[in-house]
Amino acid sequence: MNRHLRYLVVVLLVLYTALFVRLNQIQVFQAEELNAHDGNNRAAERDYNRARGTISTIDGQLVARSVQTSGRFEFQREYPEGELYAHVAGYISFEFGADGVEKVYNDELAGQTFDFEFDNFSDLFVNDDDVGDVTLTLDHDVQEVAREQLGDRLGSVVALDPETGGIIAFWSNPSFDPNLLATNDLEAAEAARTLYLAFPTKPLLHKMYQEVYFPGSTFKVVTSAAGLDSGLVTEDEPAYPVATEYTPPLTTQSISNFGGSSCGGTLFEILAASCNSAFAEMGAMTLGPNIMVEGAEGFGFNDSPPIDLPSPAESIFPTDYGEALDPPDSDEPGTIYENTPALAQASIGQYEVAATPLQMALVAAGVANDGVVMRPHVMHDIRDSNGNVVEEYDEGEWLEAMDSASASTLRQAMIGVVESGTANAMAIPGYEVGGKTGTAQLGTEPPTSHAWIIGFAGPEGGEPEVVVAVLVQAQEGASEQTGGQVAAPIARAVLEEALGA
Amino acid sequence: MPGRVRRNTELGLILLGAVITIGAYILASLGRSDVLPADVVPFLVAVLVLLLGAHIANRFLAPDADGLLLPLAALLNGIGYVFIARLDEDLAGLQAMWTAVGIGLYIATLLVVRRTRLLERYRFTVGLLAMLLLLLPLVPSVGQQIGGARIWVSLGPVNFQPGEFAKIAFAVFFAGYLVERRELLGMATFKLGPVHIPDPKHLAPVVIAWGVSLVVMMFERDLGSALLFFVLFLVMLWIATQRVWYVATGFVLFGLGAWFSWTRFSHVQVRVSAWLDPWADPDTAGQIIEGTYAMAWGGLAGTGLGLGFPWKIPVVETDFIFAAIGEELGLLGATAVIVAFLLMTGSGLRIAARASDPFDKLLATGLTTLLAVQAFIIIGGVVRLLPLTGVTLPFVSYGGSSLLANYVLLALLVRISDQSSRRPATRPERERAAA
Repeated sequence: MNRHLRYLVVVLLVLYTALFVRLNQIQVFQAEELNAHDGNNRAAERDYNRARGTISTIDGQLVARSVQTSGRFEFQREYPEGELYAHVAGYISFEFGADGVEKVYNDELAGQTFDFEFDNFSDLFVNDDDVGDVTLTLDHDVQEVAREQLGDRLGSVVALDPETGGIIAFWSNPSFDPNLLATNDLEAAEAARTLYLAFPTKPLLHKMYQEVYFPGSTFKVVTSAAGLDSGLVTEDEPAYPVATEYTPPLTTQSISNFGGSSCGGTLFEILAASCNSAFAEMGAMTLGPNIMVEGAEGFGFNDSPPIDLPSPAESIFPTDYGEALDPPDSDEPGTIYENTPALAQASIGQYEVAATPLQMALVAAGVANDGVVMRPHVMHDIRDSNGNVVEEYDEGEWLEAMDSASASTLRQAMIGVVESGTANAMAIPGYEVGGKTGTAQLGTEPPTSHAWIIGFAGPEGGEPEVVVAVLVQAQEGASEQTGGQVAAPIARAVLEEALGA
Repeated sequence: MPGRVRRNTELGLILLGAVITIGAYILASLGRSDVLPADVVPFLVAVLVLLLGAHIANRFLAPDADGLLLPLAALLNGIGYVFIARLDEDLAGLQAMWTAVGIGLYIATLLVVRRTRLLERYRFTVGLLAMLLLLLPLVPSVGQQIGGARIWVSLGPVNFQPGEFAKIAFAVFFAGYLVERRELLGMATFKLGPVHIPDPKHLAPVVIAWGVSLVVMMFERDLGSALLFFVLFLVMLWIATQRVWYVATGFVLFGLGAWFSWTRFSHVQVRVSAWLDPWADPDTAGQIIEGTYAMAWGGLAGTGLGLGFPWKIPVVETDFIFAAIGEELGLLGATAVIVAFLLMTGSGLRIAARASDPFDKLLATGLTTLLAVQAFIIIGGVVRLLPLTGVTLPFVSYGGSSLLANYVLLALLVRISDQSSRRPATRPERERAAA
């Protein structure tokens, strides 16, 4: 019988080994996935029962903190600045998860990264959980100016450092009060969320980088960059005919200049005048679809920017313009394609072109930073409770939009737009400021449009230090002046604050 | 190994188990509320009195028995108690009482059953008792249906699960019956092509055991116990006759039975779908889902005692105590529990291998199988290796009947071990000759 007892030992060993294997699957290999599973609120429960790290701006303004409370949980998350940083810091809610920095840097704020866990392990008996405090790249003064300047109007303001990609101001109106969503009174939180979701203006959406709009004439900067970088457009040529409109091949529908005005000439002239007819011809005929698509994608269109915030939207530049017709099978610039009229529209930021305010700021940033678009980010560093930096944002290039010489030329052209063109309301005495306005018409009855401006500023003769993009949604009026009149003063105030001017 | 050395080893291991239990008790309290437990001194005294009581009983009543079983049971009992105390103080008080009664019963069993021959002699009485205990919950007004299964009996102020005791009685009965019949059952009297098949009439016991399991499964809705009884019988039959044919037939029959109940009974279907994809219907599979989350949350090293959320799991104190251990003690702690059961299984089967009396050998095999398979069934259910069936984790789960029955089971194993180590003095000489 003992031989069979040995068989029994083997069988039981196999069965118990299977238990051990399953246990490893659950506790080690699938643990991360299970911990993040819908309906598993252990992480939230833990986070609510101990102090999370704080979130502050680079200049020390407290944005989020945990305060001790009595009741269901030990701590209550507070956002002293309310709506001002709601779209950046986000919120953390027991019922519906987290958003913004609270979500992306949750592990650090909750002390769950390896570094912090290791520390905690070594002081197992001290019961002093170390969590990370997040410092944002945002500047409180600039952020406040952005909110003040936009006022009650719907829209977004983005300011960032082109050299690092660090975002200085990130504001979108309407915003929301994260305190209402993060409250430990879960019924009140649910009610607040329902209310916010009912607003047609979608206050919970981070519109500066999660919503796309027609970029209008600000897109002409992209067309100019594509032209300069390809070598087909220079400061001196081609000179586009002075005209009131341009009719692309294969259509009778013409693209006219604002208010029926006449314009034309070389790059600097047409950019300063925001000349539709010239840029439509440049995109459609001088450059063609390949160069235009490559140019737009070089700034980040058709891709989500690698920002350290949740769910950035993709900005869109259409890529399909049909077969080459004349000459057939050619892909040289100057070829007429089935859909060349659409390309003409797209080249001035119409047709199906759509961009987030962040994307347009990144266009300005690429031009300002010698053609290189840095990865945009809001985290500057993470510190432990003693204030020692444990992690810094690892700055890096995202894309190379154009060569440095072309970028330099385009900067001069944009400075010209501020000095003697549509963006002159953005000029700051003593600083070198470049920009481009845009007015994306929405309808004619009554005439409304999105007012845009993008630009950069820096000390005279020096490198640009700040770029800005401002979008004011659905403004009355639809002239090319709208962008310059409505958006430029906001952009100038933000630039001035950021430069300390 | 002489008995005195075994007893001294046992004492050392028991003290180690006591230190682990008391340390865990203090850590759990610190984890929950940052304060030392108020009753730490009485707790310490109680743990030492109980464990040393059982140990001294061994010294007098079973001096030559295996020295691992009692310390392992004490460790599992202690860890289980720490978790129950951490989850529910009222249940902890009851569990402490049941532990005391259980150890009392352990000593009483050693006292009463001085020789296993006693059990062999009364095998049919014990077999009848087993049947009665098993069917008792089906008697109207005595039997009670709690939590879906009809396995409770209510006699006056006492509620208990007779199935927990029935399983031991069955092991005793099977051992006696099989010792008597194994020659006959093992004989190949039928030839089907090249295969030797026992006379079909000898298959009757297999069919009866199968029928009993089905009754338990259908009328008491206790899938785990049904599986346990059936596996117990098959293993004992296999070891006794050494015919794999019985095992094969048994598994085919059990498969048919399982398939049949799956097609017919909704409570079986619910268990199976909750096993295959718990997330398809989170309302009915909440226990499995929360248990899985809990273990994942514990990860490798666990949250630490008192620092997890084991109360999120429904009925965590009985069915899912293993998930709570996985959460707060991590893969390491959960593996330690599995290893403890493996060591107990190893000790039990070594006792079986060393027993020279066939009845002792079979009984030790059966009792060890009960312990090993019951732990496997419930842990397997918790980690979703098997469909979940609500049996207790021996010595760890909350529950008076389970704890008492398992201490009796332990006492019987210890008795067999002691008895076979003290066999006739002629044996060592034979061993010397062989060496």
